[in-house]
Amino acid sequence: MKTILVFLLMIFGSHSAYAAVGCDLNDPDRDVKRLFPGSTGYKTQYVSIDKKGGAALLARIEQRLGDKFQGLFETIDVPYTVYEVYRGTQRIGYIHGVNQKGKFGGIQVFLSLDLNGVIRAFYFQKLTSREAAKLRAKQFGDQFIGLSLKEFASYDVAAGTGAGRIAAIANPAPGADTDFRASLRAVKKNLILMDEFVFSAR
Amino acid sequence: MITIRTIAYKNLLRKKTRTILTVVGIALSAWVLSSLFGFNRGYESALNKDIDNMGFQIMVTAKGCPYEAATLMLKGGTGLRYMNEDIMKDVLKHQEVKQITPMLMQAVFDPNKGESGGMSAYLGVDPTTIASMKGFLEFKQGAWFTNPEGLEVVMGYEAAELEQREAGDLLLVTPQPGKSVELKVVGILKRTGTQDDGTIFIPLKTLQRLFNNTGKITSIGVKVQKEADIAAFEEKLYQLPDVQVVSLVQVKRTIISLVATARVMVLSIAVIAILIAMIGVINTILMSVYERYQEIGIIKSMGAMPGDVFRLVWIETMILCLVGGVIGNAAAVALAQATDVLIKRLLPYTPTGSIVQIDATLFAVTTAIIVGVGILSGLYPAWKASRVRPLEAIRGEVS
Repeated sequence: MKTILVFLLMIFGSHSAYAAVGCDLNDPDRDVKRLFPGSTGYKTQYVSIDKKGGAALLARIEQRLGDKFQGLFETIDVPYTVYEVYRGTQRIGYIHGVNQKGKFGGIQVFLSLDLNGVIRAFYFQKLTSREAAKLRAKQFGDQFIGLSLKEFASYDVAAGTGAGRIAAIANPAPGADTDFRASLRAVKKNLILMDEFVFSAR
Repeated sequence: MITIRTIAYKNLLRKKTRTILTVVGIALSAWVLSSLFGFNRGYESALNKDIDNMGFQIMVTAKGCPYEAATLMLKGGTGLRYMNEDIMKDVLKHQEVKQITPMLMQAVFDPNKGESGGMSAYLGVDPTTIASMKGFLEFKQGAWFTNPEGLEVVMGYEAAELEQREAGDLLLVTPQPGKSVELKVVGILKRTGTQDDGTIFIPLKTLQRLFNNTGKITSIGVKVQKEADIAAFEEKLYQLPDVQVVSLVQVKRTIISLVATARVMVLSIAVIAILIAMIGVINTILMSVYERYQEIGIIKSMGAMPGDVFRLVWIETMILCLVGGVIGNAAAVALAQATDVLIKRLLPYTPTGSIVQIDATLFAVTTAIIVGVGILSGLYPAWKASRVRPLEAIRGEVS
């Protein structure tokens, strides 16, 4: 009887909570094919820092990023969507996106990565900026191809400076420096999260 | 000491698979019944909450399709036609009116939303009336507008989350291609579970100016006096030229009647499920009685009265139904959110918030119904068992 009561209390005592909003592809069927030409399918995985490692993992990610998670929405419980991309039965890479605060609105940066975590494509799903067209231009995104976390480790988020190929990434819109730097922060954060969620675990 | 309840319990354990299958059947019926009752209750209460949270009972819009007007109210869609602000004076003349609030919905194509762009919608509200009309809104950060004509914005929680905005940040609004304006975020609302979560509020005058719609509105929200006859008041409002009056009572009635058809169908399925479970219970218990025919004969020859045998079989039925009922109801509660999502996908319109609400009372009522059905189902097998003649049974003659 006691067990039944505890069981009933557990059921009625629980209440729903609103989860934080993650970053999903708007049209995964279309976008995965575009970001990974030659792919035939994908699997979706939902991961959060909270569930994967909690406060300790958050501290490690912040330390690697060189910046704290900020504001109302960059929180430990944000669900991240990792798209595992396949050609037939063979896994060929990953697609992962993050939300980032921009000057005038939210920025969503997606990266497609090969199995070693090297960037194959860069994609702004959402970007609100007067200079959006310049930042969305192919030339800007192409500067990230071939880079990985190894190179981005040198990027200082606070100062907005990096070494080697990172230092060579040109801002096509000097008037939108905040959004340019926000984009680089998003890429570094994206790569660190993928390393924690997928590559290190593997 | 061995009691009739202990014997009944042990009897059920003798054929575990059969008992489990019967319990599963009953549990499924209880689940369907509980979810249906929960939906019945939850849908109406969620709809009422949605309507109450709008802060007004009547909406006056420019003449157009009433269904589109209903969508405008409930889904926060874009305005179809504009009205002149002057119409507010005509509405205010009526004594039934407690308060009104003008609104202007504007939508604009945003090329920066996704790969091929998307629509951004803004709701122009009157800073002097909106706060009192929507008194239930609370702020996570900041507050309502400081200047009724200022370049300010208040964002619903989800809108702010999507745009990663906080109080003090800037938001870029592009009313026309090439003409973008920076607005300051002065407030972020707490979650409400309503359409307000996704709304971007801008002072009415500001939005009119930005979109070159000075003096224009898309709707007027009207809060009526408590004692007012809403139906009669609606008729009066229809005397105004080129307006359409949508009463939320009317909208609610229409939606409820649309959903009623679906509810009748689901109720029929629930009744069928209960009947199937009932037949399953009768079948299980009857089989169990026939299998124990000789055993019952021996019990009776040892002095058990027909009433004792009747109670024994009846208790077995009740145990099956009680366990099945509790498991089914528990599953309904545990999976209420999943059911909620499923129903929301199936129905063309559902209110915000939880539409399947199962509480302790409903749990108890549904379990009682299932046990009641079990008691009825057990009557015949129990009666049959109580009528066993000891000698014939011991000889192995089943009548």
